[in-house]
Amino acid sequence: MPNQRFPKIEILSIEQHEIKFILSETDTSVANSLRRIMIAEVPTLAIDLVEFAENTTVLNDEYIAHRLGLIPIRYTSPDTLRASDCNGAFLPHRECVCFERCPRCSVEFELDVNFDQTVKERSVPEHERTLPFTVTSADLVSNHNSVEPAHFLHADEEGNSHDQGISIVKIGPGQHLKLKAIARMGISKEHAKWCPVAVATYRFYPIITINEEACARLTLEQKQELVDVCPDRILELDEVSGKLTVSEYAWEIATYTEDLKVAQDAMKEKPEDDDFVTVEHSTDRFIFSVEGTGAMDVEEVLMSSMRVLKERLQYLSQQLEQIREI
Amino acid sequence: MNAPERALSFLLDEDNAEQKITYAADTKVSNAGTFTINKEDHTVANLFRMQLLRDPNVRFAGYIHPHPLIHRIDLKIQTTSSTVPPVDCLTAAIEDLAGETDHLIEQTTNAISKWKKENQAGMGQFQ
Repeated sequence: MPNQRFPKIEILSIEQHEIKFILSETDTSVANSLRRIMIAEVPTLAIDLVEFAENTTVLNDEYIAHRLGLIPIRYTSPDTLRASDCNGAFLPHRECVCFERCPRCSVEFELDVNFDQTVKERSVPEHERTLPFTVTSADLVSNHNSVEPAHFLHADEEGNSHDQGISIVKIGPGQHLKLKAIARMGISKEHAKWCPVAVATYRFYPIITINEEACARLTLEQKQELVDVCPDRILELDEVSGKLTVSEYAWEIATYTEDLKVAQDAMKEKPEDDDFVTVEHSTDRFIFSVEGTGAMDVEEVLMSSMRVLKERLQYLSQQLEQIREI
Repeated sequence: MNAPERALSFLLDEDNAEQKITYAADTKVSNAGTFTINKEDHTVANLFRMQLLRDPNVRFAGYIHPHPLIHRIDLKIQTTSSTVPPVDCLTAAIEDLAGETDHLIEQTTNAISKWKKENQAGMGQFQ
C-alpha cells in the first residue's frame, strides 16, 4: 500500500438527529464519496407495497400509498437500543430467497381507522362528533417489535409537538381506511424515500492569513474598515495594539465573500502589492454537517456509509481480480 | 410507459449478461487502457481517479460518466512504463482506498466514543 492516506476525524457535536465533524488529511474525492453515499446508498426501511382493503377517504389509493412511503421507518437494534443500520437485520428483497416476501426481507404494518367507530370509542363531546380528525403514522401497527414509524425526530420534538405523528389523511363522518403496508429495505438510488438524511453537506475549512508586514502600513481606520467589510465577522481589531486578528470562530462562519478582496485592493498603493488578509479554502480539511430524517441516528448513518464504501471497494477489487485472470 | 427499471441504476442487468468490470487495452496509445465499470457513478469513479493520480506510475487517469441515465463509467489509465500495466495501478489504488476506509472506520468509532465520554452529561436524552 504505497500511497495510502491516514485521514483524521474530529467530532464537533453529536445529537440523535444531527452530527458535525471535521474530516482532515484526505482530499475532496473522499469527502464527496462519503457525502454521496450518505445521501444515496445507505440502506434503510421504507413502505414499498400497500394493499388497500377499504378506502373511502378523500384521497385516492395511490396518493395515500405515496404518503405512506415517505414516512421514515425506524429500526431499533435490540443490542444497542438505538435507531441503527438495518443492513444485516434485513435482506434486500431482491436478494431474499423467498417467493414473494417473508419476515427476513419485509415488515408488515396494519392500519384500520373507521371514523364513526373511533368517535364512539373516544367519547367525543356531542357538538364535535362531525369534526374530521387526522389519521397519522401513530395509527400504523407493526408486526415486528423493533420496527416502527419514526413519528418524531427526537424526544424533545415529541414533547413540544401538538401533533400525534406524521399526517397521512384527514378522515370525516362515514369514512373508513383499512390497509396493509409492507416495508422493505432499499437505497435511495431507487427512490428518495429510502434516504436516511435530510441534509448531508461539507464545507472547506478556511485558511485565514494576515500579512503583518503589509498591515503595519495601514491606519487604524483602514483596519477597522477591513473588519467591517466582512459580512461574516471573521476579523477583529485589537484596540490596544491596533493589530488585526482572526476571530475565534472564524473557521465556522467564513463564507468566502468577495467584499474583503475588493476593499483591500482599494487600499493598496500598487495593484500588485501583497494582500493584507487572505482567506483561502483548505484542500484537505472539511467541515461536515449531516442531519437525519429520523430513520436512523446520524452517527449510524455515518458509520454505515463507510461500511458501504468498504464493501463496494472489496467487491470491485474481487471483480478486478477476475479480469486479471483472463 | 418506457421508463427504465429504477433498480437498473445499481443492479447488474443479468439478463443481458452484464459484467461489473471489463477492460480494453488502447489500440493507439501504449501502456494505456479503458476500464468500463457498470452500475457505478461519480462516487467511486472520482475516488479512483484522484487516488490513481497520486501514483507516480500513472501518467494519465480520467473518467467519464456518459449520461445520467447511462449507469456506467469509463475509466482511462495510462502508465509511465510498459512494466506496469494499468490493471496493477487500479488494483493498488483500490487497495489503498480500502485501507483508508478501514482507517476511517476506526478513527470515527474512536472519535465518537471519545466525544461521548467527554460529553456524558448531555447524553441523558439519548437514553
